[in-house]
Amino acid sequence: MHATICDLITDLVQNSIEAQATEISLNVEETKTNLNIAIVDNGKGMSASTLKKAKDPFWSDGIKHKHRKVGLGLPFLFQTAEMTGGNVAIESEEGNGTTATITFDPAHVDLPVFGNFTTAAVTLMTYGFDGNLEIRHCLDEKEYSIEKQELIEILGDLNDLESLILLKEYISSNEEELRKT
Amino acid sequence: MAKMTLEELRNLRDAKKKEMTQRDGNEKSAQIIIGMGTCGIAAGAKGAFDAFLDELDSRNVTDTKITQTGCMGLCFSEPTVEVDVPGMPRVIYGNVDAKVARRIVTEHIIGKALVSDHIFDKPAADIIK
Ligand SMILES: Nc1ncnc2c1ncn2[C@@H]1O[C@H](COP(=O)(O)OP(=O)(O)OP(=O)(O)O)[C@@H](O)[C@H]1O
Ligand code: FES
Ligand SMILES: [Mg+2]
Repeated sequence: MHATICDLITDLVQNSIEAQATEISLNVEETKTNLNIAIVDNGKGMSASTLKKAKDPFWSDGIKHKHRKVGLGLPFLFQTAEMTGGNVAIESEEGNGTTATITFDPAHVDLPVFGNFTTAAVTLMTYGFDGNLEIRHCLDEKEYSIEKQELIEILGDLNDLESLILLKEYISSNEEELRKT
Repeated sequence: MAKMTLEELRNLRDAKKKEMTQRDGNEKSAQIIIGMGTCGIAAGAKGAFDAFLDELDSRNVTDTKITQTGCMGLCFSEPTVEVDVPGMPRVIYGNVDAKVARRIVTEHIIGKALVSDHIFDKPAADIIK
């Protein structure tokens, strides 16, 4: 389904947005031995029974896709974890939000490629949603983080072409710095 | 590229703003809406997004807004993109890969002519919403 880890991350953050979260944080940590991803939101959360159903590939809440009752986001995540010996923990409380903690083995041959983090971050930062989103990306000892409200304060409307171009330059320069050896 | 600081980002933005107010500011802006649902992404919507940014930037187009929506319910023709240029009919394009995105910029947004081989037949309103 998804070609890359970054697509998978996009889908999970979109789930938080769709759950009416106003505060979302995405934390991605890469080391030689681990790829850790954590997404915390203060959205509507899930009851225990909804969470159980959400792991089922043949279920989606029926609100979003009227013509399709099959969610693809979470099942794909669980499937990827299962195939590659990774680990997924989702904690959720109805009315209080959801925390997803994921650990993958970056060396596993069946793990999808990482993908383009810059594009994922730019699209998530400019996806229509009013709250705040914080993204932190660490690679070994280096890291950087960006915050949506701060970027809006500097750039103005993030969906303007000019803002988008500057935002992409900004994130990609931070990504390059991470990868620099 | 050296790592950009927030301060540098702010300065670049201010410089751009100045440059923009010097130009004629009463042009209405064009709008591009990209379907970034699960299917759209699986079909390559992010490649289309990058291509739009790159092509618009390199052709010095300004006054454009790019937004995203989740599922447009048009899976079978993802990636789907809606384009609204003032004075032209609002159109939905289907199967927009990076190449088609670049064509939409040059032919539709700059050339003011529809990219007719990618127009998605206007579906009944209830399918879209
Ligand atoms: N962060 C979250 N907060 C609250 N509910 C969630 C969250 N993530 C997922 N869910 C619930 O789990 C269901 C399944 O999620 P999943 O991503 O698998 O499918 P979907 O979002 O419905 O559809 P798709 O991702 O394929 O467009 C959602 O419909 C939603 O009800
Ligand atoms: S994203 Fe394809 S039907 Fe919703
Ligand atoms: Mg989802």
